[in-house]
Amino acid sequence: MGYNPPLMSAELRRSRAATAAVLVIAMAAFEGCRRSGSADARDSLRTLVVAQGNDPGSFNPAITTSGNVHPVTDQIFNGLVGLDERLNPVPELAERWDVGNDGRAYTFHLRRGVEWHDGRPFTSADVKFTFEQALLKYHSRTRAALAPVLAGIDTPDPHTAVFRFHHPYGPLLQRLDVVEASILPKHLFEGVDVMSAPANLAPVGTGPFRFVKYEKGLFVELERNPRYFRPGLPRMERVVFRVLQSAITGVMALERGEVDYISSVPGADLPRLSTTPGITLVRSAGGSGGSFCQEVLIPNLTRPPFASRDVRRAFYTALDRSFIAERVYFGQGTPSTGPITRKLEWAYSPDVRTYPTDTAGAERLLDGAGYRKGTDGVRFTVTFTHPATAARLAQVVREQMKRVGIDVALEGLDFNASVEKVFVRKTFDLGFASFCNGPDPEIGVRRVYVSSNIGPFPFSNGAGYRSVEADALLDRAATLLARSDRAPVYATLQRLLTEDLPYFWIIDSDGTRAFRSTFTGFRPWAGGFAEAVERAGGS
Amino acid sequence: MTGERRVLTFLVRRTLQAIPLVAGIITLTFILIHSAPGDPVYLMAGDGGDAAYYSAMRARYGLDRPLPEQYIHYVRSVLSGDFGFSYGYQQPVFGVIRDRIPATLALSLPAFAIASILGIVVGLAGAAARDSRLDVALRLMTSTLYSAPVFWVGQILLLLFAVLIPIFPVGGMRSLRESTQGSVDPLDLLWHLVLPCASLSFSFLAIIARVTRASVIAETRREYVRAARARGLTPAAVLLRHAVPNALLPIVTVAGYQVGLLLTSASLTEAVFGWPGLGELLLDASAQRDYPLIIAILLTASIVVVAANVVTDVVYTAFDPRVEV
Repeated sequence: MGYNPPLMSAELRRSRAATAAVLVIAMAAFEGCRRSGSADARDSLRTLVVAQGNDPGSFNPAITTSGNVHPVTDQIFNGLVGLDERLNPVPELAERWDVGNDGRAYTFHLRRGVEWHDGRPFTSADVKFTFEQALLKYHSRTRAALAPVLAGIDTPDPHTAVFRFHHPYGPLLQRLDVVEASILPKHLFEGVDVMSAPANLAPVGTGPFRFVKYEKGLFVELERNPRYFRPGLPRMERVVFRVLQSAITGVMALERGEVDYISSVPGADLPRLSTTPGITLVRSAGGSGGSFCQEVLIPNLTRPPFASRDVRRAFYTALDRSFIAERVYFGQGTPSTGPITRKLEWAYSPDVRTYPTDTAGAERLLDGAGYRKGTDGVRFTVTFTHPATAARLAQVVREQMKRVGIDVALEGLDFNASVEKVFVRKTFDLGFASFCNGPDPEIGVRRVYVSSNIGPFPFSNGAGYRSVEADALLDRAATLLARSDRAPVYATLQRLLTEDLPYFWIIDSDGTRAFRSTFTGFRPWAGGFAEAVERAGGS
Repeated sequence: MTGERRVLTFLVRRTLQAIPLVAGIITLTFILIHSAPGDPVYLMAGDGGDAAYYSAMRARYGLDRPLPEQYIHYVRSVLSGDFGFSYGYQQPVFGVIRDRIPATLALSLPAFAIASILGIVVGLAGAAARDSRLDVALRLMTSTLYSAPVFWVGQILLLLFAVLIPIFPVGGMRSLRESTQGSVDPLDLLWHLVLPCASLSFSFLAIIARVTRASVIAETRREYVRAARARGLTPAAVLLRHAVPNALLPIVTVAGYQVGLLLTSASLTEAVFGWPGLGELLLDASAQRDYPLIIAILLTASIVVVAANVVTDVVYTAFDPRVEV
């Protein structure tokens, strides 16, 4: 190899240091210049910036339950009723209501003087049109629940809407908030396809904020509705939803003050955020993404080994749910005791069969069920099909089951694929879902346990549980009106289900929201969480 | 044949060659996407529906038809200029993609330019100071940057320059505190661009730098360089006037052919920084199984890569007249 002398001159070497110095000075000057140019605007006190996990795409809340759409549209639209912090119905577009004909007719007296954002008056015709042409056709949950029981909607005058049912129906009011039943303006949707109407991209509602602008993948801007029907609200001039797909980036943006509110905090960031000055954490079991949720493992009851109740009991007994609540969910929830979360206080019953962690007891049950340990210490292998987001839970479940000789093979898929495999194709041993009870057990509990809802479609009775007794109890609870009458029926249901153990309920979730402490007045339990937000100390 | 005519003939030939390639991409993507588990209806419509509801939604979008029938329908639509209707955005795919292209260009073009220029400078510096401490340091740096995953680099840059030393924003393309009416503030755009652009350009820079170094060193071993030295030219003149122009050919080749890699990396960078370009759109569309949107984005990316390769071939002739297109 020939000798090639270094060709770099001394001049070149000296210029390196100079270049680096110039770069640093330029960066500092650039930042200073940029900040001074918009200092006034950045200090704006009346803009709330909200982190939005995914691009909403379009803005019609009556045709979808999508968690990408509702956080935005729930600030633009209203339901007939709202929900208070305990998720009890309170007046919204309806200022009052009467229940007649033994629960077969609900008469809603609509608020007068309410205007759509384009100035047209809101009337009962909007209510009837929205239910008949959008909610009962395209809103998956409202359609599934109300279409079979609703006989019709009458509008005797512009300020009255009467819902008639085939038989007494108790849980209607909890189904009428902005998340479950946003009301659309008939004059913008009549005569056009509701699914692809132009108004889906330029929404017009009655809500506290008006739509201003949407840049795909970047932001949605709303402004204060000065003619909102609630005096003095809203208090913020603008709400901007900033699309930030990465939850980690969302947390960083909050810490930097680039966003003011995030609706979901990754567990690993909780300890740090809880001690970060200027950040407030709040827990809530409600909101646009679903309320009163439980994290649940789904055993496939249609095939071994989970077809055996003793195996299910052994599996549940071997699970250390307190450990999972603490280490996997970072305390964002409490170990569940049954199919109804304790947060749904009036329907929850602690009087059920319990399964404290007991590995020795689990092993005895497995021996008794005929699943003895082989020479390799393994009794049987099950595959746990889970979304990638539940990977940490999956690893802990595998470790805990290893103690009793159950080999858990992990199959991590993306969310959509795992849903299809568990709920649609049903080619699984053990699955996972976050099931939300909703404001009433009739909304989110029934669909998971009733035998008429064994798929094949998402978030149905994925375990394939069939019980004539459970079906009868669920039907009976739906037709009773008073909670005091319904609660004992749900208590019986909870006793039955904890005996049969068709699912493994892990925790009753508590979603953590985080916001800049310079704001106050959030309603994280409701769809319209930003309605009463203001600067702390008044704006 | 004149030079211009030759280039024109070449472009026509390559365009014709690209047709089966694009057809193949459409077919392969269509089959792969539809083979993957998952159903767009679930995310489009939400949860808690009944069987009749999901069936009706599938029928609405033609998803209940046999796959070959869906394929033929799709190909016919594409041939008539209709790239389909996005499930997630509820509007034609063409418009959704068109709205995202400026953001991807705003990120990728500066990253491409910076990486190319700095890569050549770093490579030249390494070649010029071969086996010196500087060269070793630069080789270590380029090896590290080349092997570091782009999403990891992005997260590290965010931690360093948006959290620990908070001089840049954590993401997005513009500040949202002030009104979004009116045109984008170029300074604000630049401020948001720095970290994603740096993140995206690093690995690309490393490739260019390594190729440049190797290529220049190879040239400096050739006889004509020795002859130039023997004629008494300064080391810098030998390097810049003789070795570099000849070393540019492999550099141009690598730069042009790495456009595909740049687009792939842009997807990940856009996801990390919330940059609203085609890459972020592709990830979003994949999670939602928005089939028409996925195929159209991949088709767009394929056309860009094919075009970049053609441009590379043409540019090649400018650097080396012996090469004919």
